[in-house]
Amino acid sequence: MGVGVVLLFMPFLGMSYGMTRQVMLSLMLALIVSGLNLNLGYAGELAMGHIAMYAAGAYTAGLISKAGVTEIWIQLLAGALVALGVGLISGIPGLRLGGWSLAMTSFFLILLVPDILSIFKESTGGRNGLTGIVPPTLFGQLMSEKQYYLLVVVVTIVWFACMRNIVVSRHGTALRVLKQSPVLASSVGISVFRMKLTAYALGSLPAGLAGVLFANLDMYISPEAFTFTVAMTVLAASVFGGSASIYGALIGAAVLQFGMNQATNFQEYGLIITGLFLLSGGVLFSGGIAGLGQNLVRKLDKLARERVGSQLVPAATAEVAPIQGARLMVESISKSFGGNQALSQVSVEAKPGAVTAIIGPNGSGKTTLLNMISGYYSTDEGSIALDTEEIHGLSSYRVARAGVSRTFQTPNIPEKLSVIEAVEAGRYATERVSILQAILRTPKFKRIRREDRLEAERVLNLVGLGEQRDSDADALPLGNRRLLEVARSLIGAPKVILLDEVASGLDEDELDVLADLVNRLRDAGLTVVIVEHNFQLVLRLADEIYVLAQGTVMAHGTPAEIERNPRVMEEYLGVINDADGSNLIGAGND
Amino acid sequence: MTSGELLLEVEHLQTGYGDLKVVRDVSLTVRRGEITVLLGRNGAGKTTTLRAITGLNKTYGGEVRYLGAKLGEVPAHRRVARGMSYVQEGKRVFHELTIEQNLLLGGFSTRLKKRALLEAVSEIYEFFPILGDKRALPAASMSGGQQQMLAIGQALMAKPQLLILDEPSQGLAPSIVKEVMERVHALKAMGLGILLVEQAVQESLEISDEVSVVDMGRTILAGPASTISLDQLQDAYFGVGTAS
Amino acid sequence: MTIIWSGMAIGAVYALVAIGYNIVFLSQKTFNFAQASLMMLGAFITYLGIVVLGLHWWLVGIGAAIIIGAIAALEERIAIRPVKDMHNLLVTTLGASIILQGVAQLIWGGEPYRVPFFAGDGVVEVLGGNVYPVEIALVLVVILLVVALTQFAKHSLVGIALMGMSENREAAQLRGVDVRRFAFLAFAFTGVLAGAMGLFVGPKTYAVATLGASLALKGFVVLAIGGFGSLSGTLAGGLIVGLAEALASRYIGADFANLSVFIILVVILMAKPTGLFTRRKERTV
Repeated sequence: MGVGVVLLFMPFLGMSYGMTRQVMLSLMLALIVSGLNLNLGYAGELAMGHIAMYAAGAYTAGLISKAGVTEIWIQLLAGALVALGVGLISGIPGLRLGGWSLAMTSFFLILLVPDILSIFKESTGGRNGLTGIVPPTLFGQLMSEKQYYLLVVVVTIVWFACMRNIVVSRHGTALRVLKQSPVLASSVGISVFRMKLTAYALGSLPAGLAGVLFANLDMYISPEAFTFTVAMTVLAASVFGGSASIYGALIGAAVLQFGMNQATNFQEYGLIITGLFLLSGGVLFSGGIAGLGQNLVRKLDKLARERVGSQLVPAATAEVAPIQGARLMVESISKSFGGNQALSQVSVEAKPGAVTAIIGPNGSGKTTLLNMISGYYSTDEGSIALDTEEIHGLSSYRVARAGVSRTFQTPNIPEKLSVIEAVEAGRYATERVSILQAILRTPKFKRIRREDRLEAERVLNLVGLGEQRDSDADALPLGNRRLLEVARSLIGAPKVILLDEVASGLDEDELDVLADLVNRLRDAGLTVVIVEHNFQLVLRLADEIYVLAQGTVMAHGTPAEIERNPRVMEEYLGVINDADGSNLIGAGND
Repeated sequence: MTSGELLLEVEHLQTGYGDLKVVRDVSLTVRRGEITVLLGRNGAGKTTTLRAITGLNKTYGGEVRYLGAKLGEVPAHRRVARGMSYVQEGKRVFHELTIEQNLLLGGFSTRLKKRALLEAVSEIYEFFPILGDKRALPAASMSGGQQQMLAIGQALMAKPQLLILDEPSQGLAPSIVKEVMERVHALKAMGLGILLVEQAVQESLEISDEVSVVDMGRTILAGPASTISLDQLQDAYFGVGTAS
Repeated sequence: MTIIWSGMAIGAVYALVAIGYNIVFLSQKTFNFAQASLMMLGAFITYLGIVVLGLHWWLVGIGAAIIIGAIAALEERIAIRPVKDMHNLLVTTLGASIILQGVAQLIWGGEPYRVPFFAGDGVVEVLGGNVYPVEIALVLVVILLVVALTQFAKHSLVGIALMGMSENREAAQLRGVDVRRFAFLAFAFTGVLAGAMGLFVGPKTYAVATLGASLALKGFVVLAIGGFGSLSGTLAGGLIVGLAEALASRYIGADFANLSVFIILVVILMAKPTGLFTRRKERTV
């Protein structure tokens, strides 16, 4: 903010027009970079269509200005809306695929800008550019140079304030979760496609605003300003300032804008320098390459981290409140992958207030079963229901919203989040807060944010991680990362929790915490399903055990029954049973 | 090439994936012309042990010696060239390549010319006739048992001194298991040292010379096959408190 | 027919880019954005050799192959190998591409240079269409290249090793394949190819620094149509993109050439994301 204030008064401190113009251009560049950062840094997708949206904003402003609408606020609004439209239309095909396909379709969009302008030559002036833009007015008054400068600064400040509010809200956390893993995102109830599209569409807004400001700066625009090279400059500024940063965009943009002007012969070396930025930034990428600048950026970003008033809940009160679990019914489901029968006619019932364990050798279909319950695979036949609600055929984020939460074999923890933020991510689907509410920080947003924090503290205490609440989540040791995942899966008030090999890699103390927690959750009424290799732990915890072998349920019963079941012993001792299940001990070659 | 010579010595091996330490203390030996079987239930650390021996996973502690030399950081592809050939679990052949291409690729580490390799391929066809009949078909078109034969044939193409087999009987019908075990036994007679990981305890015990049992990443029982009873094994698998 | 020939020839150029993408994709499952920039440099080196230095064409071809191969090797060492996160390869190979473009602009400026074709630049009539010899040569060379590479992949030990590595890197390692070295060599080979092909590409597209961006994108469309990793698919993809562009440009207007290719790309990506000529595999979590 301090920087903003200084910028506001710069023209009054006797700065030359040439200088203020550079500042304005840097701020416009920063706006576009900030839009890119939402995608690249937070959602983790390289979508470069922002130059096309920048062009859309600029031409919208130019055309309506020529049509007689010179009021700058109206132009800004119109430019942002048109850019948003371009973002939505172009985002849908690319975002369905992501990765290279998205990068390429969005690059292609830039290539199309001059062609499209040329097709509508009569109004846009085609390759010659659009002339005759009328100077802008503010509330009917012609704007002076200084006023215009102030406007650019104010628009930038407002956008960065919005951006900050989005990034530090649960939506920002959701974006980071998405970047880490789409699978994880949908497991906490985030719709992957909608979230990506939202980020892309939001990112088009500042680009559109920058376009409007640009059109009114020189009263002339041409396709020259929206080329591939400009797109590269935007990307280089993003990488330089740190893509996963709020204010890094300003620094990156300033360095590139001023660097381009100051360096002698920059015209000639410009591309090479841009390329070097990208190359070195990508190689060393952990949020930007400017060591010094980066520290500053990090401090600025830290300031933006919200301070929600909270008091540590003492461990004693970390009681588990009664939970309304749901009966999970898996009925005769089958699944084959390209002719390979992974599961056939598997039925499992998990009751509320009970621990149901699924065990079996490698490749017996345990993980496939879990993935089908979570909605990652479709069922070939059979049904999956939660109490009376059918959940098979739902996409994974809807299954999560229906009340099924889970942990992963390999803990899936997003980067750059504190422990408590990582846990809060699990509440994304519980009570909805719109992005607009997050930007405006409405009372509802604040209330829910407080609840998020309190809930997160409560579940962290449950798993014994209360003390680590402010540590970096991805830096925790493995055992703690597993417990963090359990906390995250509990915070969304699930009815059923699926724990996938949650005990592997835990030490004895952590195992005790886990076992104790599972017992308390069961007693509170939750439906707990565990997939586990550790046979002793299963015998100790489970109320009901299902043994899978070669894609079918080979046995099920209480721990005592399973322990006495000779067929299970054989399976664990690895004696092969043939189709009718008869015992083949002693049938080996002699 | 004396039978009984020490091929592989693993001492107090520690390994895993990233910061997940799966194997904490595993020791075993394999001698030329003998079979060592490595047993243990799911998740005990058997496959991870094999991955460290063959260089796919890093060794965090302990030591792996092959023909008396420490292996240290020798990369996986060099270990194959030194005569250590590994058949991974789950019939992992190259599905998109033909059977003949799979076998040729198996001999890649020998640095022989294609012509010489084709001769070696025809020897494999003699050992596993079914592979010769289907040589031009993609590996994906074969049954599980045939793919397992191919995987073993592919590993033999490297002219190994030590053959490492990870659950060759997994997912196979009992009659095929028997056949696979017979083949493995025949290989031993040819002078190879074999390290076998198996779920089919009974069958593998019958052909093995040395047994090592792991649980929770530690060797909990080891010795000559003749001295280990099925009861002892049962205790090792299900007994309480064997973990440490 | 003139339009068809010209479309097929430009399609062949795009297919060449896609072949380069494919070789890198098969060997290390990544994507080299700078592939087209390597070809652009190949065209410049060819210009330099034939026009400026007046060397014999085959000498120029070999020289360009060596130089561009070395540049590609350097790119692999700087922009690919040190990168740990696959995601960042998007940014680094793009950076490499921009640097190459910048270097070309620094040396040769932004103007296009005409590169003569060694077998003559006179128009000939084939199947009722006017066509330059280089256009016929491009189509033939690309077809031959695809056939040769396919045979190599099937029959030579190195080719088999590459295909095996593409299917399962770890299993290939266990068969004695030094996967890092192979990936490096395959990458350098795409540079050699880009350099040698300058003899054919240069006369068609001219040597111009800004060639890279549009070639890179069109090459990607070819890949999207033909399927990632499918060599023969690049032929079909190149044909479709080249013809679409030529026909749109002739019958609707030059401004619609890129647009029509873009629409094809979007439709294909929406309908069949793995490409028209590949079998779809089941996704696993």
